[in-house]
Amino acid sequence: MREIAVSVENVSFKYPNEANYAVKNVSFYVQEGEWLAIVGHNGSGKSTIAKLLNGLLRPESGVIKIFSTELNETTIWEIRKRVGMVFQNPDNQFVGTTVQDDVAFGLENNGVPRDEMVERVDEAIRLVKMEEFLEQEPHHLSGGQKQRVAIAGIIALQPDIIILDEATSMLDPKGRNEVLETVRDLKKKQKITVISITHDLEEVVKADRVIVMNKGEVLTQGTPEEIFLLGEQLEKIGLDLPFTVKLSNELKGAGFPLTTDHLTAEGLVEELWTLYSKM
Amino acid sequence: MNSMIIGKYVPGTSIVHRMDPRSKLIMVFFYVFIVFLANNVETYAVLMIFTFSLILLSRIPLSFIIRGLKPIFLVILFTFLLHLFMTKEGELLYRLGWFEIYEQGVKQGVFISLRFLSLIIVTTLLTLTTTPIEVTDGVESLLSPLKKFNMPIHELALMMSISLRFIPTLMEETDKIMKAQTARGVDFSGGSFQERIKAIVSLLVPLFINSFKRAEELATAMEARGYRGGEGRTKFRLLTWKTADTALIVSLILLAIILFILRS
Repeated sequence: MREIAVSVENVSFKYPNEANYAVKNVSFYVQEGEWLAIVGHNGSGKSTIAKLLNGLLRPESGVIKIFSTELNETTIWEIRKRVGMVFQNPDNQFVGTTVQDDVAFGLENNGVPRDEMVERVDEAIRLVKMEEFLEQEPHHLSGGQKQRVAIAGIIALQPDIIILDEATSMLDPKGRNEVLETVRDLKKKQKITVISITHDLEEVVKADRVIVMNKGEVLTQGTPEEIFLLGEQLEKIGLDLPFTVKLSNELKGAGFPLTTDHLTAEGLVEELWTLYSKM
Repeated sequence: MNSMIIGKYVPGTSIVHRMDPRSKLIMVFFYVFIVFLANNVETYAVLMIFTFSLILLSRIPLSFIIRGLKPIFLVILFTFLLHLFMTKEGELLYRLGWFEIYEQGVKQGVFISLRFLSLIIVTTLLTLTTTPIEVTDGVESLLSPLKKFNMPIHELALMMSISLRFIPTLMEETDKIMKAQTARGVDFSGGSFQERIKAIVSLLVPLFINSFKRAEELATAMEARGYRGGEGRTKFRLLTWKTADTALIVSLILLAIILFILRS
Protein backbone atom coordinates (compact mmCIF):
# COMPACT_ATOMS: atom_id res chain seq x y z
CA MET A 1 0.00 0.00 0.00
CA ARG A 2 1.48 3.31 -1.07
CA GLU A 3 1.48 6.23 1.29
CA ILE A 4 -0.63 9.31 0.67
CA ALA A 5 1.81 12.08 -0.25
CA VAL A 6 -0.63 14.96 -0.35
CA SER A 7 -4.12 15.14 1.01
CA VAL A 8 -6.34 18.14 0.55
CA GLU A 9 -9.58 18.17 2.51
CA ASN A 10 -12.38 20.65 1.90
CA VAL A 11 -10.00 23.49 1.14
CA SER A 12 -11.40 26.89 0.21
CA PHE A 13 -9.48 30.03 -0.64
CA LYS A 14 -10.42 33.53 -1.67
CA TYR A 15 -8.03 36.28 -2.79
CA PRO A 16 -8.46 39.48 -0.83
CA ASN A 17 -10.80 42.00 -2.46
CA GLU A 18 -12.38 39.41 -4.68
CA ALA A 19 -15.95 38.28 -4.54
CA ASN A 20 -15.61 34.72 -5.78
CA TYR A 21 -13.67 31.89 -4.24
CA ALA A 22 -10.60 30.95 -6.27
CA VAL A 23 -10.77 27.48 -4.76
CA LYS A 24 -14.05 26.18 -3.41
CA ASN A 25 -14.27 23.20 -1.09
CA VAL A 26 -11.69 21.16 -2.94
CA SER A 27 -10.64 17.70 -1.79
CA PHE A 28 -8.23 15.30 -3.43
CA TYR A 29 -5.22 13.19 -2.62
CA VAL A 30 -1.99 12.24 -4.33
CA GLN A 31 -0.24 8.94 -3.73
CA GLU A 32 3.47 8.63 -3.19
CA GLY A 33 5.30 8.26 -6.50
CA GLU A 34 2.29 9.25 -8.54
CA TRP A 35 2.24 11.76 -11.42
CA LEU A 36 -0.88 13.84 -11.07
CA ALA A 37 -1.92 16.40 -13.63
CA ILE A 38 -4.25 19.24 -12.71
CA VAL A 39 -5.89 20.83 -15.73
CA GLY A 40 -8.38 23.63 -16.21
CA HIS A 41 -8.61 26.83 -18.17
CA ASN A 42 -7.37 30.20 -16.87
CA GLY A 43 -8.92 31.17 -13.57
CA SER A 44 -10.03 27.65 -12.73
CA GLY A 45 -7.99 27.79 -9.53
CA LYS A 46 -5.33 25.31 -10.51
CA SER A 47 -2.37 27.61 -9.85
CA THR A 48 -3.91 28.69 -6.58
CA ILE A 49 -3.92 25.05 -5.51
CA ALA A 50 -0.21 24.81 -6.26
CA LYS A 51 0.50 27.82 -4.08
CA LEU A 52 -1.67 26.43 -1.29
CA LEU A 53 0.26 23.17 -1.27
CA ASN A 54 3.51 24.68 -0.03
CA GLY A 55 2.08 27.44 2.06
CA LEU A 56 2.62 30.39 -0.27
CA LEU A 57 -1.07 30.99 0.28
CA ARG A 58 -3.00 29.99 3.38
CA PRO A 59 -6.39 28.34 2.94
CA GLU A 60 -9.40 30.05 4.43
CA SER A 61 -10.75 26.71 5.58
CA GLY A 62 -9.84 23.06 5.19
CA VAL A 63 -6.77 20.98 5.89
CA ILE A 64 -3.72 20.26 3.73
CA LYS A 65 -1.46 17.41 4.77
CA ILE A 66 1.91 16.53 3.28
CA PHE A 67 2.82 12.96 4.26
CA SER A 68 0.41 13.26 7.20
CA THR A 69 2.06 16.46 8.47
CA GLU A 70 -0.48 19.20 8.62
CA LEU A 71 0.54 22.43 6.88
CA ASN A 72 0.52 25.32 9.37
CA GLU A 73 2.68 28.18 10.70
CA THR A 74 5.10 25.87 12.50
CA THR A 75 5.55 23.22 9.83
CA ILE A 76 5.67 25.54 6.85
CA TRP A 77 9.46 25.71 6.47
CA GLU A 78 9.80 21.97 6.89
CA ILE A 79 7.13 21.46 4.25
CA ARG A 80 8.70 23.90 1.81
CA LYS A 81 11.81 21.72 1.94
CA ARG A 82 9.74 18.67 1.01
CA VAL A 83 7.57 20.31 -1.62
CA GLY A 84 9.57 21.91 -4.43
CA MET A 85 7.96 24.21 -6.94
CA VAL A 86 8.94 25.08 -10.49
CA PHE A 87 7.19 28.18 -11.78
CA GLN A 88 6.18 29.36 -15.21
CA ASN A 89 8.69 32.06 -16.09
CA PRO A 90 12.24 30.67 -16.37
CA ASP A 91 13.80 34.08 -15.78
CA ASN A 92 11.83 35.12 -12.76
CA GLN A 93 12.87 32.19 -10.60
CA PHE A 94 16.58 32.32 -11.29
CA VAL A 95 18.01 33.97 -8.19
CA GLY A 96 21.73 33.22 -8.41
CA THR A 97 24.19 34.91 -10.72
CA THR A 98 25.43 31.57 -12.07
CA VAL A 99 23.97 28.08 -12.44
CA GLN A 100 25.68 26.71 -9.35
CA ASP A 101 24.79 29.73 -7.24
CA ASP A 102 21.17 29.33 -8.16
CA VAL A 103 21.12 25.63 -7.31
CA ALA A 104 22.75 26.46 -3.98
CA PHE A 105 20.19 29.13 -3.11
CA GLY A 106 17.67 26.80 -1.49
CA LEU A 107 20.41 25.03 0.45
CA GLU A 108 21.79 28.35 1.70
CA ASN A 109 18.34 29.29 2.89
CA ASN A 110 18.09 26.11 4.88
CA GLY A 111 21.48 26.55 6.49
CA VAL A 112 23.08 23.45 4.99
CA PRO A 113 26.80 23.32 5.89
CA ARG A 114 29.04 24.31 2.97
CA ASP A 115 30.81 20.98 2.43
CA GLU A 116 27.53 19.15 2.14
CA MET A 117 26.14 21.97 0.01
CA VAL A 118 28.90 21.62 -2.58
CA GLU A 119 28.25 17.88 -2.89
CA ARG A 120 24.50 18.27 -3.19
CA VAL A 121 24.80 21.08 -5.74
CA ASP A 122 27.11 18.98 -7.90
CA GLU A 123 24.86 15.97 -7.68
CA ALA A 124 21.70 17.92 -8.47
CA ILE A 125 23.32 19.59 -11.47
CA ARG A 126 24.48 16.19 -12.72
CA LEU A 127 20.97 14.79 -12.38
CA VAL A 128 19.53 17.44 -14.68
CA LYS A 129 22.53 17.11 -17.02
CA MET A 130 23.68 20.71 -16.73
CA GLU A 131 27.24 20.00 -15.56
CA GLU A 132 28.81 21.78 -18.54
CA PHE A 133 27.12 25.01 -17.51
CA LEU A 134 28.23 25.25 -13.86
CA GLU A 135 29.64 28.76 -14.13
CA GLN A 136 27.24 30.03 -16.79
CA GLU A 137 25.16 33.11 -16.26
CA PRO A 138 21.41 32.82 -16.82
CA HIS A 139 21.23 35.03 -19.91
CA HIS A 140 23.41 32.55 -21.76
CA LEU A 141 20.96 29.70 -21.13
CA SER A 142 17.85 28.70 -23.05
CA GLY A 143 14.46 28.61 -21.35
CA GLY A 144 14.56 24.84 -21.08
CA GLN A 145 18.01 24.95 -19.54
CA LYS A 146 16.91 27.54 -17.00
CA GLN A 147 13.96 25.38 -16.02
CA ARG A 148 16.30 22.40 -15.61
CA VAL A 149 18.44 24.54 -13.31
CA ALA A 150 15.29 25.42 -11.36
CA ILE A 151 14.56 21.70 -11.04
CA ALA A 152 18.14 21.09 -9.88
CA GLY A 153 17.68 23.77 -7.23
CA ILE A 154 14.71 21.85 -5.95
CA ILE A 155 16.29 18.39 -6.23
CA ALA A 156 19.24 19.64 -4.17
CA LEU A 157 16.80 20.07 -1.26
CA GLN A 158 15.86 16.39 -1.62
CA PRO A 159 12.12 16.93 -1.75
CA ASP A 160 9.41 14.27 -1.84
CA ILE A 161 7.10 16.21 -4.10
CA ILE A 162 7.72 18.43 -7.10
CA ILE A 163 5.00 20.78 -8.29
CA LEU A 164 5.31 22.01 -11.87
CA ASP A 165 3.21 25.15 -12.01
CA GLU A 166 2.87 25.52 -15.79
CA ALA A 167 6.62 25.06 -15.86
CA THR A 168 6.70 24.27 -19.56
CA SER A 169 4.18 26.77 -20.86
CA MET A 170 6.76 29.41 -21.83
CA LEU A 171 9.12 26.96 -23.52
CA ASP A 172 9.51 25.89 -27.12
CA PRO A 173 8.77 22.21 -27.91
CA LYS A 174 12.42 21.26 -27.51
CA GLY A 175 12.69 22.94 -24.12
CA ARG A 176 9.41 21.37 -23.05
CA ASN A 177 10.66 17.89 -23.90
CA GLU A 178 13.94 18.54 -22.12
CA VAL A 179 12.14 19.53 -18.95
CA LEU A 180 9.57 16.74 -18.99
CA GLU A 181 12.27 14.18 -19.81
CA THR A 182 14.28 15.44 -16.83
CA VAL A 183 11.33 15.18 -14.46
CA ARG A 184 10.39 11.73 -15.75
CA ASP A 185 13.96 10.60 -15.30
CA LEU A 186 14.08 11.91 -11.75
CA LYS A 187 10.79 10.31 -10.89
CA LYS A 188 12.17 6.95 -11.95
CA LYS A 189 15.42 7.36 -10.02
CA GLN A 190 14.19 9.00 -6.83
CA LYS A 191 10.58 7.99 -6.32
CA ILE A 192 9.43 11.58 -6.42
CA THR A 193 5.77 12.49 -6.50
CA VAL A 194 4.95 14.92 -9.29
CA ILE A 195 2.02 17.30 -9.46
CA SER A 196 1.91 19.10 -12.75
CA ILE A 197 -0.40 22.00 -13.31
CA THR A 198 -0.69 22.43 -17.01
CA HIS A 199 -2.37 23.40 -20.24
CA ASP A 200 -0.20 21.05 -22.20
CA LEU A 201 -2.11 17.97 -23.27
CA GLU A 202 1.03 15.95 -23.93
CA GLU A 203 1.87 16.44 -20.29
CA VAL A 204 -1.61 15.27 -19.31
CA VAL A 205 -1.41 12.17 -21.46
CA LYS A 206 1.68 11.00 -19.63
CA ALA A 207 0.25 11.51 -16.14
CA ASP A 208 -1.02 8.66 -13.99
CA ARG A 209 -4.12 10.54 -13.01
CA VAL A 210 -5.82 13.77 -13.96
CA ILE A 211 -7.92 16.24 -12.00
CA VAL A 212 -10.06 18.63 -14.03
CA MET A 213 -10.77 21.96 -12.35
CA ASN A 214 -13.49 24.40 -13.29
CA LYS A 215 -14.40 27.63 -11.50
CA GLY A 216 -12.50 26.66 -8.39
CA GLU A 217 -14.03 23.24 -8.05
CA VAL A 218 -12.95 19.73 -8.97
CA LEU A 219 -15.06 18.85 -11.98
CA THR A 220 -13.89 15.32 -12.36
CA GLN A 221 -10.88 13.08 -11.92
CA GLY A 222 -9.57 9.88 -13.45
CA THR A 223 -6.93 8.37 -15.70
CA PRO A 224 -6.08 10.34 -18.86
CA GLU A 225 -8.06 7.81 -20.94
CA GLU A 226 -11.14 8.29 -18.79
CA ILE A 227 -10.81 12.05 -18.88
CA PHE A 228 -10.49 12.34 -22.63
CA LEU A 229 -13.56 10.16 -23.09
CA LEU A 230 -15.49 13.15 -21.75
CA GLY A 231 -14.74 14.92 -25.02
CA GLU A 232 -17.41 17.56 -25.40
CA GLN A 233 -17.68 18.21 -21.70
CA LEU A 234 -14.02 19.24 -21.64
CA GLU A 235 -14.40 21.47 -24.65
CA LYS A 236 -17.34 23.16 -22.98
CA ILE A 237 -15.16 24.35 -20.09
CA GLY A 238 -12.53 25.63 -22.46
CA LEU A 239 -10.10 22.73 -22.62
CA ASP A 240 -8.70 21.29 -25.77
CA LEU A 241 -8.42 17.62 -26.68
CA PRO A 242 -5.22 16.04 -28.00
CA PHE A 243 -5.07 15.81 -31.76
CA THR A 244 -5.17 12.00 -31.77
CA VAL A 245 -8.31 11.96 -29.62
CA LYS A 246 -10.00 14.43 -31.94
CA LEU A 247 -8.97 12.49 -35.00
CA SER A 248 -10.14 9.18 -33.63
CA ASN A 249 -13.49 10.72 -32.65
CA GLU A 250 -13.91 12.15 -36.15
CA LEU A 251 -13.04 8.84 -37.72
CA LYS A 252 -15.57 7.07 -35.53
CA GLY A 253 -18.10 9.69 -36.51
CA ALA A 254 -17.37 9.00 -40.15
CA GLY A 255 -18.17 5.34 -39.62
CA PHE A 256 -14.80 3.72 -39.12
CA PRO A 257 -15.09 0.92 -36.57
CA LEU A 258 -12.34 2.08 -34.20
CA THR A 259 -12.50 0.32 -30.86
CA THR A 260 -11.08 2.73 -28.28
CA ASP A 261 -9.89 6.27 -27.82
CA HIS A 262 -6.30 7.00 -28.61
CA LEU A 263 -4.07 9.16 -26.52
CA THR A 264 -0.89 8.58 -28.46
CA ALA A 265 -0.12 8.79 -32.14
CA GLU A 266 1.47 5.33 -31.98
CA GLY A 267 -1.72 3.76 -30.65
CA LEU A 268 -3.85 5.35 -33.33
CA VAL A 269 -1.49 4.43 -36.15
CA GLU A 270 -1.34 0.89 -34.84
CA GLU A 271 -5.09 0.51 -34.88
CA LEU A 272 -5.47 2.23 -38.24
CA TRP A 273 -3.10 -0.04 -40.10
CA THR A 274 -4.36 -3.21 -38.47
CA LEU A 275 -7.87 -2.03 -39.28
CA TYR A 276 -6.97 -1.77 -42.92
CA SER A 277 -5.70 -5.33 -43.00
CA LYS A 278 -8.92 -6.50 -41.35
CA MET A 279 -11.16 -4.80 -43.87
CA MET B 1 31.70 54.18 -25.42
CA ASN B 2 32.38 50.47 -25.81
CA SER B 3 36.08 50.86 -25.24
CA MET B 4 35.38 52.32 -21.78
CA ILE B 5 36.74 49.83 -19.25
CA ILE B 6 35.68 51.33 -15.94
CA GLY B 7 33.48 48.76 -14.22
CA LYS B 8 34.22 45.99 -16.70
CA TYR B 9 35.60 42.58 -15.82
CA VAL B 10 38.33 40.86 -17.83
CA PRO B 11 38.50 37.12 -17.10
CA GLY B 12 41.93 35.84 -16.22
CA THR B 13 43.93 33.64 -13.91
CA SER B 14 46.64 36.04 -12.75
CA ILE B 15 47.59 36.33 -9.11
CA VAL B 16 45.56 39.55 -8.87
CA HIS B 17 42.51 37.79 -10.30
CA ARG B 18 42.79 35.02 -7.75
CA MET B 19 43.14 37.32 -4.77
CA ASP B 20 40.41 37.58 -2.21
CA PRO B 21 38.03 40.43 -3.14
CA ARG B 22 38.27 41.60 0.47
CA SER B 23 42.00 42.28 0.27
CA LYS B 24 41.52 44.11 -3.01
CA LEU B 25 38.72 46.23 -1.58
CA ILE B 26 40.71 47.09 1.54
CA MET B 27 43.71 47.95 -0.57
CA VAL B 28 41.75 50.27 -2.89
CA PHE B 29 40.09 51.95 0.07
CA PHE B 30 43.35 52.78 1.80
CA TYR B 31 45.20 53.50 -1.41
CA VAL B 32 42.90 56.44 -2.02
CA PHE B 33 44.30 58.02 1.15
CA ILE B 34 47.89 56.89 0.79
CA VAL B 35 48.14 58.54 -2.61
CA PHE B 36 47.91 61.91 -0.90
CA LEU B 37 51.14 61.26 0.98
CA ALA B 38 53.11 61.77 -2.20
CA ASN B 39 54.32 65.35 -2.68
CA ASN B 40 57.68 65.28 -4.44
CA VAL B 41 59.46 63.64 -7.35
CA GLU B 42 60.70 60.64 -5.36
CA THR B 43 57.35 59.83 -3.79
CA TYR B 44 55.52 60.11 -7.09
CA ALA B 45 58.10 57.84 -8.67
CA VAL B 46 57.47 55.24 -5.95
CA LEU B 47 53.73 55.60 -6.50
CA MET B 48 54.04 55.03 -10.21
CA ILE B 49 56.30 52.03 -9.73
CA PHE B 50 53.71 50.55 -7.37
CA THR B 51 50.89 51.19 -9.80
CA PHE B 52 52.69 49.68 -12.75
CA SER B 53 53.79 46.62 -10.77
CA LEU B 54 50.13 46.00 -10.03
CA ILE B 55 49.29 46.22 -13.73
CA LEU B 56 52.13 43.79 -14.50
CA LEU B 57 50.90 41.36 -11.86
CA SER B 58 47.34 41.47 -13.18
CA ARG B 59 48.61 40.42 -16.65
CA ILE B 60 46.21 42.88 -18.24
CA PRO B 61 47.93 44.45 -21.29
CA LEU B 62 48.92 48.06 -20.66
CA SER B 63 47.67 49.02 -24.11
CA PHE B 64 44.23 47.72 -23.19
CA ILE B 65 44.10 49.89 -20.09
CA ILE B 66 45.36 52.95 -21.96
CA ARG B 67 42.80 52.49 -24.70
CA GLY B 68 40.04 52.01 -22.15
CA LEU B 69 40.98 55.10 -20.20
CA LYS B 70 41.07 57.43 -23.19
CA PRO B 71 38.04 59.45 -22.08
CA ILE B 72 39.72 59.90 -18.70
CA PHE B 73 42.86 61.30 -20.30
CA LEU B 74 40.85 64.30 -21.43
CA VAL B 75 39.90 65.03 -17.85
CA ILE B 76 43.50 64.54 -16.77
CA LEU B 77 44.73 66.85 -19.51
CA PHE B 78 42.25 69.47 -18.42
CA THR B 79 43.41 69.27 -14.79
CA PHE B 80 47.00 69.46 -15.97
CA LEU B 81 46.40 72.60 -18.03
CA LEU B 82 44.40 74.18 -15.25
CA HIS B 83 47.26 73.72 -12.80
CA LEU B 84 49.80 74.76 -15.39
CA PHE B 85 48.19 78.12 -15.99
CA MET B 86 46.76 78.89 -12.61
CA THR B 87 49.72 78.23 -10.35
CA LYS B 88 51.83 81.35 -10.09
CA GLU B 89 54.69 80.24 -7.88
CA GLY B 90 58.35 79.57 -8.33
CA GLU B 91 60.50 80.63 -11.25
CA LEU B 92 58.95 82.10 -14.35
CA LEU B 93 59.67 79.72 -17.19
CA TYR B 94 57.87 81.17 -20.14
CA ARG B 95 55.95 84.26 -21.04
CA LEU B 96 53.89 85.26 -24.04
CA GLY B 97 51.93 88.44 -23.45
CA TRP B 98 49.74 87.89 -20.40
CA PHE B 99 50.41 84.16 -20.74
CA GLU B 100 52.82 82.93 -18.06
CA ILE B 101 54.04 79.49 -17.01
CA TYR B 102 55.79 79.02 -13.70
CA GLU B 103 57.97 76.16 -12.48
CA GLN B 104 55.55 75.23 -9.71
CA GLY B 105 52.74 75.14 -12.25
CA VAL B 106 54.46 72.46 -14.29
CA LYS B 107 55.28 70.49 -11.15
CA GLN B 108 51.77 70.74 -9.74
CA GLY B 109 50.21 69.85 -13.06
CA VAL B 110 52.34 66.75 -13.47
CA PHE B 111 51.87 65.65 -9.87
CA ILE B 112 48.11 66.04 -9.81
CA SER B 113 47.79 64.28 -13.15
CA LEU B 114 49.91 61.38 -11.93
CA ARG B 115 47.94 61.14 -8.72
CA PHE B 116 44.72 61.08 -10.65
CA LEU B 117 46.05 58.53 -13.12
CA SER B 118 47.32 56.24 -10.39
CA LEU B 119 44.00 56.38 -8.54
CA ILE B 120 42.01 55.60 -11.66
CA ILE B 121 44.28 52.74 -12.68
CA VAL B 122 44.25 51.08 -9.28
CA THR B 123 40.46 51.29 -8.85
CA THR B 124 39.95 50.12 -12.43
CA LEU B 125 42.24 47.19 -11.77
CA LEU B 126 39.91 46.13 -8.95
CA THR B 127 36.92 45.85 -11.25
CA LEU B 128 38.98 44.49 -14.14
CA THR B 129 40.17 41.56 -12.06
CA THR B 130 37.16 40.94 -9.82
CA THR B 131 33.70 39.80 -10.92
CA PRO B 132 30.85 42.02 -9.70
CA ILE B 133 29.52 39.17 -7.60
CA GLU B 134 32.91 38.76 -5.91
CA VAL B 135 32.92 42.46 -5.14
CA THR B 136 29.47 42.02 -3.61
CA ASP B 137 30.63 39.08 -1.51
CA GLY B 138 33.66 41.03 -0.41
CA VAL B 139 31.61 44.06 0.59
CA GLU B 140 29.14 41.86 2.48
CA SER B 141 31.92 40.11 4.33
CA LEU B 142 33.78 43.32 5.17
CA LEU B 143 30.64 45.07 6.37
CA SER B 144 29.28 42.09 8.29
CA PRO B 145 30.42 43.47 11.68
CA LEU B 146 27.83 46.20 11.13
CA LYS B 147 25.10 43.56 11.38
CA LYS B 148 25.49 43.86 15.14
CA PHE B 149 24.13 47.38 14.84
CA ASN B 150 21.10 46.13 12.94
CA MET B 151 22.37 47.26 9.59
CA PRO B 152 20.75 45.16 6.83
CA ILE B 153 24.05 44.08 5.28
CA HIS B 154 22.84 40.71 4.01
CA GLU B 155 19.82 42.32 2.41
CA LEU B 156 21.95 44.99 0.74
CA ALA B 157 24.30 42.35 -0.65
CA LEU B 158 21.37 40.29 -1.91
CA MET B 159 19.92 43.40 -3.54
CA MET B 160 23.21 44.03 -5.25
CA SER B 161 23.57 40.48 -6.50
CA ILE B 162 19.99 40.31 -7.77
CA SER B 163 20.44 43.63 -9.57
CA LEU B 164 23.59 42.30 -11.20
CA ARG B 165 21.79 39.13 -12.19
CA PHE B 166 18.91 41.04 -13.78
CA ILE B 167 20.88 43.63 -15.74
CA PRO B 168 21.19 41.47 -18.90
CA THR B 169 17.59 40.29 -18.54
CA LEU B 170 16.28 43.85 -18.41
CA MET B 171 18.54 44.91 -21.28
CA GLU B 172 17.06 42.16 -23.40
CA GLU B 173 13.60 43.23 -22.39
CA THR B 174 14.30 46.88 -23.17
CA ASP B 175 15.45 45.84 -26.62
CA LYS B 176 12.32 43.78 -27.14
CA ILE B 177 9.99 46.58 -26.03
CA MET B 178 11.81 49.09 -28.23
CA LYS B 179 11.34 46.83 -31.21
CA ALA B 180 7.68 46.26 -30.37
CA GLN B 181 7.07 50.01 -30.00
CA THR B 182 9.01 50.80 -33.17
CA ALA B 183 6.78 48.34 -34.98
CA ARG B 184 3.84 50.38 -33.68
CA GLY B 185 5.28 53.58 -35.07
CA VAL B 186 7.25 55.03 -32.16
CA ASP B 187 10.39 56.82 -33.30
CA PHE B 188 13.20 56.54 -30.73
CA SER B 189 15.94 58.12 -32.78
CA GLY B 190 14.58 61.45 -33.89
CA GLY B 191 12.03 64.16 -33.32
CA SER B 192 11.79 67.15 -31.02
CA PHE B 193 12.62 66.99 -27.34
CA GLN B 194 8.95 66.55 -26.48
CA GLU B 195 8.49 63.73 -28.96
CA ARG B 196 11.55 62.01 -27.63
CA ILE B 197 10.25 62.17 -24.07
CA LYS B 198 7.00 60.65 -25.27
CA ALA B 199 8.90 57.85 -26.97
CA ILE B 200 10.89 57.13 -23.83
CA VAL B 201 7.69 57.00 -21.77
CA SER B 202 6.32 54.36 -24.12
CA LEU B 203 9.43 52.35 -23.34
CA LEU B 204 9.62 52.95 -19.60
CA VAL B 205 6.03 52.23 -18.67
CA PRO B 206 5.96 48.62 -19.93
CA LEU B 207 9.48 48.11 -18.63
CA PHE B 208 8.49 49.19 -15.14
CA ILE B 209 5.27 47.21 -15.10
CA ASN B 210 7.13 44.10 -16.18
CA SER B 211 9.82 44.68 -13.58
CA PHE B 212 7.25 44.84 -10.82
CA LYS B 213 5.74 41.62 -12.10
CA ARG B 214 9.15 40.01 -12.19
CA ALA B 215 9.86 41.21 -8.67
CA GLU B 216 6.68 39.64 -7.39
CA GLU B 217 7.30 36.34 -9.13
CA LEU B 218 10.91 36.27 -7.99
CA ALA B 219 9.82 36.92 -4.41
CA THR B 220 7.34 34.05 -4.61
CA ALA B 221 9.98 31.73 -6.06
CA MET B 222 12.46 32.72 -3.36
CA GLU B 223 9.95 32.10 -0.62
CA ALA B 224 9.01 28.74 -2.13
CA ARG B 225 12.66 27.80 -1.89
CA GLY B 226 12.75 28.61 1.78
CA TYR B 227 14.15 32.14 1.81
CA ARG B 228 13.44 33.91 5.08
CA GLY B 229 16.12 36.55 5.43
CA GLY B 230 19.75 36.32 6.42
CA GLU B 231 19.13 34.53 9.73
CA GLY B 232 20.62 31.02 9.84
CA ARG B 233 21.74 31.13 6.26
CA THR B 234 24.91 29.45 5.07
CA LYS B 235 26.96 30.61 2.11
CA PHE B 236 27.89 28.69 -1.00
CA ARG B 237 30.50 31.17 -2.18
CA LEU B 238 33.59 30.91 -0.08
CA LEU B 239 36.12 33.68 0.34
CA THR B 240 39.59 32.42 1.17
CA TRP B 241 42.32 34.68 2.43
CA LYS B 242 45.57 33.52 0.87
CA THR B 243 49.22 34.45 1.30
CA ALA B 244 48.98 36.73 -1.72
CA ASP B 245 46.27 38.71 0.06
CA THR B 246 48.39 39.21 3.16
CA ALA B 247 51.26 40.15 0.86
CA LEU B 248 49.11 42.78 -0.84
CA ILE B 249 48.16 44.39 2.45
CA VAL B 250 51.76 44.26 3.71
CA SER B 251 53.02 45.88 0.51
CA LEU B 252 50.43 48.59 0.95
CA ILE B 253 51.71 49.29 4.47
CA LEU B 254 55.28 49.33 3.17
CA LEU B 255 54.23 51.76 0.45
CA ALA B 256 52.71 54.04 3.04
CA ILE B 257 55.90 53.92 5.16
CA ILE B 258 58.17 54.59 2.18
CA LEU B 259 56.05 57.52 1.06
CA PHE B 260 56.04 58.89 4.58
CA ILE B 261 59.84 58.75 4.81
CA LEU B 262 60.46 60.20 1.34
CA ARG B 263 57.89 62.96 1.37
CA SER B 264 59.11 66.47 1.91
